[in-house]
Amino acid sequence: MIRKGLAGGSYQPLTKESIAKVDQTVMRVVEEVGFEVNSEAALKLFEKAGARVDMEERRVRLPQAKVRELIGMAPPEVKLCGQEEKHDILLGGNRVYTGTGGTALYIYEPATKQTRSATLDDLKHIARLVNRLDNIHLFMLPTYPNELSIEQVDANRFFAGLDNTTKHIMGGVYTLDGVKQVLRMAEMVAGSAEKLRQRPLISMVACSISPLKLDTQYGDLVIEIARRGIPLVCPAEPLCGATSPITLAGNLVIQATDSLMGVMLAQIVKPGTPVIFGSVATNTDLRNLNYLAGSVEMGLLNAAGAQMAQFYRLPFYATGGMTDSKVLDAQSGYESAISNLLCALAGANFIHDAAGMMDFALTACYEKFVIDNEILGMVMRAVDGIKVNDDTLAFDLIKEVGPGGNFVAAKHTRRFMRREHYQPTLSDRNSREEWEAKGGRALWQNAGEKVRRLIADPRYHLPAEVRQNILSEITGIVD
Amino acid sequence: MDEDIISLIRENVIQGRIAQDDEGLDGGMVGEPGVTELIEKALAKRLDIRDIINKGLTEAMTLVGQKFEQKEYYIPDMLASAEAVGAAMKLLEPHLAQSGIKPKGKVLLVTVKGDLHDIGKNIVMILLRGAGYTVKDLGHDKEPQSIVNAVRVEKPQFLGLSALLTSTMVNMRDTIQALEESGLRDKVKVIIGGAPVSEEYARSIGADGYGSDGFQALAVIESLTST
Repeated sequence: MIRKGLAGGSYQPLTKESIAKVDQTVMRVVEEVGFEVNSEAALKLFEKAGARVDMEERRVRLPQAKVRELIGMAPPEVKLCGQEEKHDILLGGNRVYTGTGGTALYIYEPATKQTRSATLDDLKHIARLVNRLDNIHLFMLPTYPNELSIEQVDANRFFAGLDNTTKHIMGGVYTLDGVKQVLRMAEMVAGSAEKLRQRPLISMVACSISPLKLDTQYGDLVIEIARRGIPLVCPAEPLCGATSPITLAGNLVIQATDSLMGVMLAQIVKPGTPVIFGSVATNTDLRNLNYLAGSVEMGLLNAAGAQMAQFYRLPFYATGGMTDSKVLDAQSGYESAISNLLCALAGANFIHDAAGMMDFALTACYEKFVIDNEILGMVMRAVDGIKVNDDTLAFDLIKEVGPGGNFVAAKHTRRFMRREHYQPTLSDRNSREEWEAKGGRALWQNAGEKVRRLIADPRYHLPAEVRQNILSEITGIVD
Repeated sequence: MDEDIISLIRENVIQGRIAQDDEGLDGGMVGEPGVTELIEKALAKRLDIRDIINKGLTEAMTLVGQKFEQKEYYIPDMLASAEAVGAAMKLLEPHLAQSGIKPKGKVLLVTVKGDLHDIGKNIVMILLRGAGYTVKDLGHDKEPQSIVNAVRVEKPQFLGLSALLTSTMVNMRDTIQALEESGLRDKVKVIIGGAPVSEEYARSIGADGYGSDGFQALAVIESLTST
């Protein structure tokens, strides 16, 4: 049984009053402090839309009413489609989905405890692996092909995704020309530009720079992607004590303001652009300013971010599920589990980075995708909660079995056992004797075996004709 | 009494208190004189400038460094102390020459072309000022040529280049090349820093040094000063 799109929301770190206070502070920041926009085109668009723009300082300030009007133009739900309809996702409300995230530069190999540079082949292999991991609902391009020049990166990353998995492909982008190539490629897969808008098989991410800054390149990317009507994520990455106030509440203000900057720009370019409010918020280690990917505060911040998104009626892109551990140890497991669980229970629509990432998000690991797939299965089971009705309370059955009886042979047990109880895909539940007899292996070894098996299975390919057309039209794709 | 003022300066640097309205690390110190007020007092009493610097400021920063090493202090604690020393040095500056103390040198800091990230550079700036260097901040996203022009005008002993992105670190190399082409390369020592760069990268582009963090940057500059 695959659990996805279930309603979260049972965990609420912010009260209604707290949400209102964060929102009021966000509005004050946008109106009184404003934000710096370094893209000339974006600056002009904000001015045309009625913002107060200081061209000298490149500073944009907007009155509250205008901010609310622009947020209101954004659709409350965004559909992200897979090449197979069973993978379609409808982000919005408090429905929960999970996916991979990016963008790691290295691959960790647990057998040798070494890392190496990630290649395009890694991306293809991970896409094939994730295509087979049911608790990962969306494929965000998780690694960077280090052997390619930056001009080749966008087209090759998206092609690797589209040609190896039928799940929706989301990815960060690097160059404007690359974005254009990727959009053309996706149109060819979808059938036409219109069909791609109807069924967006891909979506893109353009980050702001916290605090309160939009750089030239990403400003231009937001404009281009919005014009094409492709779903766009505008996440912000404020770090407590470094790029936001040290307090979690202060961090939430910066995260919301920075993400809304992108949301508003996209609506100015084209009202109704499918845009996703996003958070990569976390804290830093104030001994060395290292970005932290496995802290409990990251879980809190992204769970609270989900509440803010629900308040603004915007679909939400959260960050959770990573670890700062360098190996697949206990830290790796508990850090990934805690932030995934907090985000999911809060009803975060799309938890990105939910699988496969470690070491400050610099490194991806094949085995960890499989391990996190198991964590996510358990997390989604927790989101599912406890259903209470006559059937599940089972009075009649209790009466029938009576004192001293058992429920093993009851039809009721068979009817509910798979639905009510998560079926592990990796965890060891053998007795010690059985476990020893099977070689006494560690979890990562079993995960590795599963990786090898799933990657060796027959893979997905794009339809031959589409594939050929893409390879002949889009230059620079390494097949 | 004189010793008292100097030990108070030392204590307040450790607390990171620039002025009397600072609460200090331990809190509850608002209203007591901070480093700047104490320096004014020391100057009025004509205490030996060397004593103020060596026994007050430098000794305090050594202790702060130890606290950081021992994981008792975080970066913001370190910065507060360095800022207090920077403020003290500003007040002492006009008196250095007559005490026969040579200024420690001038450092130009800049984030290279294409890069808008300046937190790392700004931390280095505070630490260098806290160590007594004169620091000129050129800002971020600066073309190699504008950096070269600034080196020509400001005549610093050191140039610190910063970058956070793998896509912009290459502009460090271009900046060093531009210095060479303009004949200024041997007039200034170039130090680089930032998340994507390394000792190896520094060597490969012909920089004189690399600092893995603010304290390393300071250590590298100190070591290059003494050579």
